[in-house]
Amino acid sequence: MDIYLPIAEVAVNAPLIVALGALVGFISGMFGIGGGFLMTPLLVFFGIPAPVAVSSMANHVAASSTSSVIAYSRRRAVDFRMGGVLAAGGVVGAFLGVELFRLLRLLGQADLVVSVSYLVFLSVIGGLMLWESAGAILRRRRGQPPPPRRDRRPVWLYGLPLKMRFPRSRLYISVIPPLVLGAFVGVLSAIMGVGGGFILVPAMVYVLRMPAGMVVGTSLMQIIITTGLTGVLQAGRNQTVDIVLATLLLLGGIVGAQFGARASSRFRAEELRAILAFIVLLVGLRMGLGLFFAPDEPFVLMSGMG
Amino acid sequence: MAPDLPPPPPTAPAAVISAALTDTTVQVKSDFRGARIVLYGAVFDPAARPSDVVVLVRGPEQPVRITRKQKVLGLWLNSRPVVFRGAPGFYRAAASRPLDDIAHFGTLRRLGAGIDHLAINAPAEQRTETRYGVRDVVVSRLGADYYIWRRAVVRLKEKAGLYHEDDHGVRFVDRGLFRAAIELPAGAPTGVYRADILLFQDGRAVSSKSRTLTVEKVGFERALYVWAHDRPWSYGLASMAFALAAGWAASAAFRRD
Repeated sequence: MDIYLPIAEVAVNAPLIVALGALVGFISGMFGIGGGFLMTPLLVFFGIPAPVAVSSMANHVAASSTSSVIAYSRRRAVDFRMGGVLAAGGVVGAFLGVELFRLLRLLGQADLVVSVSYLVFLSVIGGLMLWESAGAILRRRRGQPPPPRRDRRPVWLYGLPLKMRFPRSRLYISVIPPLVLGAFVGVLSAIMGVGGGFILVPAMVYVLRMPAGMVVGTSLMQIIITTGLTGVLQAGRNQTVDIVLATLLLLGGIVGAQFGARASSRFRAEELRAILAFIVLLVGLRMGLGLFFAPDEPFVLMSGMG
Repeated sequence: MAPDLPPPPPTAPAAVISAALTDTTVQVKSDFRGARIVLYGAVFDPAARPSDVVVLVRGPEQPVRITRKQKVLGLWLNSRPVVFRGAPGFYRAAASRPLDDIAHFGTLRRLGAGIDHLAINAPAEQRTETRYGVRDVVVSRLGADYYIWRRAVVRLKEKAGLYHEDDHGVRFVDRGLFRAAIELPAGAPTGVYRADILLFQDGRAVSSKSRTLTVEKVGFERALYVWAHDRPWSYGLASMAFALAAGWAASAAFRRD
């Protein structure tokens, strides 16, 4: 059952795309992530032009994050003030990212930046997560207690000006780190077609030292605002948002996420992190692989630019 | 009294060609997976001279941006993109015999008959200069690689099913009656296509007809496409609002508390 995507201008197999949405939705529900880092490469692999995949993912990520953020906010697990500061950075980042992506496409270097971003960020994050979770699993096997959390707060984080109180997170820190973090993730969302949760969540835990219970809900708030803006900007500036594609993905994604959330209760937290780390690492290496091997076809047609 | 003149030698009337398409519009709907258009035609030649028919179908022109992967410090990177102009978005040449047997190089070049004879070039890479005392010599910055680039454009278009040359694509089904099939892939660009049907005798094009074919998006697909391109900001806002509403609806539907 093929369906023609009006903006991407390719015909795709509709059940396949819905299944893809369900698979990524399952993973996203299981690990509490958006899953954009996995979905965008898969879409490109199935023949969707990369600019359309990257842009339409913004709509998809915004939708799937909305469906989970409501549950978190009901549990009072969203720090709206911190989310607002992160999102303010994200708004600036989204503007920069969309313009940067446009410029890169004109220069013909969008592929390179996308590959390198995936390779660097996913490998580093995946590697760190794997190291940390493998350590936790080993310690539990040996019956050792978890290492005491180093609560020495980094000086650079607390020495900066413009301090602000975040009562829900019980923090009193400068707004500069969250602003910069939000902006950085905003740029990535426009370039890589991801929500950026895989960077935002660890950074909020290890750099901003937010309480674990607040992290996921607050990161979702930032992601919704940033990807919401990215999606509108991509449509306005580049005309690359395919709402039919995003809707198909969403159909599968919603159902997949529910099953994923149920499945996640069967695993321990560190086991989940280890599995996720493997997936992240694998995607990063696969995306970067193309840089190191001679291509079969040295020439590449670039999708039309007006 | 006029002198009795011998009757003039019988000159056969000129041969003419006539053709029609089975469909003149192709509608791109949600189930569009390409289309097959059949072209029928006839050659009227009382003298029954040996005739060849060539059918050239050209889609709307689309500039082609192409880049080449190059090894830089051990990494395969894209080169600066090169823009080729004059490339039709779709091209099909069908003939009753190999084109090179039908007419000479110069004739084919002038008519743009055959993929090798398409006037595809990269004007941004060209400059004119005086060489060996000859003024206005066109030189491409791509140098000798120019033909490799041009071949790559054709090869990639052929791979996408957009360019095709068929030496036996025109079949004579009966005396003077011929048919040719035009396969449009799902990725065929929308717009007005032009089919030129040429009759060759003795290496010269003696008669021709042209027909147009319109490939257009219709219904929902067209509405979305036009909206996204004519009013991109309202489309972007609406599709984001739709996505957020869908996410909210999903959470309401699966609410477990």
